[in-house]
Amino acid sequence: MKLKILWMYHNLMDLYGDKGNIEVLRYRASKRGIEVVVDTCTIGEEKDITDYDLFFLGGGADREQTLIYKDLLQRKPQILQALDNGIACLLICGGYQLFGQYYLDQDGNRIDGLGIYDYYTESSDRDHRCIGNIVVETTIQNQTITVVGFENHGGQTKNVSTVFGKVLSGHGNTFHDGTEGFMNDQTIATYMHGPLLPKNPMIADEVIRRALKKNYGDLQLDPLNDELENQAHYTMVKRILKKNS
Amino acid sequence: MDLRLLTVQLSHKVLRAFGRGGSMPGRLALKMDPTFISKFQMPKIVILVTGTNGKTTTSNLIARSLEQAGLKVINNHRGDNLNVGIATLLAANSDANFCIQADAAVIEVDELTLYRQFKALKPTALVVNNFFRDQLDRAGEMETIIRKIQEVTQNFTGDLILNGDDPNVVRIGDTARSAQVHYFSVCKNAVSTDTTNEASEGKFCPRCGNPLIYSYYQYSHIGRFICKHDNFGDITPYTYVESIDYQNETFTVDHIQYHSFMNTIYAIYNCSAVLTVMKLLGLDTKYANEVFTNFKMSEGRNEVFALSKPCIINLVKNPTGANEVMKYIVAQPGDKNICIFLNDNAQDGHDISWIWDAHFERLNQSDVKTIVCSGLRAYDMALRLKYEGMEDRIQVIEDKEKAIQWLDQANMNSYVIATYTALHSVRAILEKESTK
Repeated sequence: MKLKILWMYHNLMDLYGDKGNIEVLRYRASKRGIEVVVDTCTIGEEKDITDYDLFFLGGGADREQTLIYKDLLQRKPQILQALDNGIACLLICGGYQLFGQYYLDQDGNRIDGLGIYDYYTESSDRDHRCIGNIVVETTIQNQTITVVGFENHGGQTKNVSTVFGKVLSGHGNTFHDGTEGFMNDQTIATYMHGPLLPKNPMIADEVIRRALKKNYGDLQLDPLNDELENQAHYTMVKRILKKNS
Repeated sequence: MDLRLLTVQLSHKVLRAFGRGGSMPGRLALKMDPTFISKFQMPKIVILVTGTNGKTTTSNLIARSLEQAGLKVINNHRGDNLNVGIATLLAANSDANFCIQADAAVIEVDELTLYRQFKALKPTALVVNNFFRDQLDRAGEMETIIRKIQEVTQNFTGDLILNGDDPNVVRIGDTARSAQVHYFSVCKNAVSTDTTNEASEGKFCPRCGNPLIYSYYQYSHIGRFICKHDNFGDITPYTYVESIDYQNETFTVDHIQYHSFMNTIYAIYNCSAVLTVMKLLGLDTKYANEVFTNFKMSEGRNEVFALSKPCIINLVKNPTGANEVMKYIVAQPGDKNICIFLNDNAQDGHDISWIWDAHFERLNQSDVKTIVCSGLRAYDMALRLKYEGMEDRIQVIEDKEKAIQWLDQANMNSYVIATYTALHSVRAILEKESTK
């Protein structure tokens, strides 16, 4: 079995350890005997997106987003084609925003998004950001689970049709929103850094399953020894929810 | 005579008499009067030192060098660099009429505090070391910090003493319209490289957005860079380190040889900032060299404790600092254990994702026998190492005391890495264990 990951703008959209997500996907897939290929693609580089099983785009500061968005928009027809072919997407923070209608930055500059989904993002003023630990509840494979991470975004994302999860503690899509991220059959999009995947092995495996689906259909993955992962997860979930009660 | 000032000074004296330091008097002063810091008549020389890494060391080196040259200097030498610490420093060294009793003030200022207190402190010079990603959740993004510092220095008429090899710092010189800008820079040397996997900043020209071209990197994104499009980075250094001799721990500037207080590239940068200050003040740089030769690093900076075998502790705050400490550790010969204390309190930064930006794979060496993970985020640290393939060498011991006892009993050379809020208590435990 083979898993082909395309890591977009790895040298620009890489904030708050988002690259750790790639390490986790590589490790967890390899442990299951899956051959993993990770290719990077940055501004001006030719890559056939339809050739891949997973599209990963992390977060960046306003500056980096401004640098990449034109290049990203040029790739829209290919991204749509890839989605039609069944590619899975993992989008963090800026990556999440760029799949929506638009992003209005702190200075009022409008950055057009890919417009693939209906949501849009408007930045709050510079001194007010959604920052802190966050715990979200979501349903994966008919199982209700917690997801823990760290959010740090000025952007307020609105008009989200299907959210990633319900916020148990933290902000989410907007200040004290109650909902976090976006999720449909192919895409998981979230503001959660941390990075997201190391402490949330269920999400990591869900991303791998979604990516493999393109070529291999629905699969179950062999369980791994997630003792450290679970300790890291529950230590934080407990601490954060306790603080709130 | 000002009653509020008197109260603050008294509380400082009382605390001192009981052997306590701290920033309480400053907190009290700022509560009574938020503009307290601006009240003082500052000395003729006011040097502020800021940047991500090396602030405490650099400001200490400057203060001691000025003293060596015969000046009376006040200095927040323990690194109390927030407004409360600075208010305490000023109150403690002022007469009853808010007049600072010194020839010079050398003040380390936190990057975020700098733009808030810049005007109030009436600086004559500002030294900026570097800007790395550090505890970003306090500010949002590093970009914001740089922009705010650009705003307050735009019309500054004093001396800007800037690291010319850090594009983030050169941006400040680029937008300062009225200041005297003086860059320090370090030549290509034995640790320089042509490419890097450490640089997360400084990729693009801040003026035009074209890629910056580096002729060499020193560490992280520090190195000699230029934008081929508009010549951003085409600086004329005021202080240029011409050569470094790591064997003899010396370097030369203007054909004069200096001793380096620590045998690392970042120490050379700190020294060149100090030499720039001395030259600008018309002071003989031999005084700085005397300080470099005898300088004792602050607590938790390469500090040695006598466990059953020697144990060396280093503070880390961000990926760049961690990378440099890890380079040092793996360069030391022989089998070793490592213990990492990762906390996530306010002063450490609540966001610990920086550990994924740091190159912990460097520790994956056969003579690194065990890595003990401890502190509030011990399990996050353990996961980081697991995903670098060190799973079989990880020990999680959340309790700090037990972690140090484990090192002691292992009877092997050890290296401790601690984040800010863990440092103090871990040092105390090391002190206790090493006298047993």
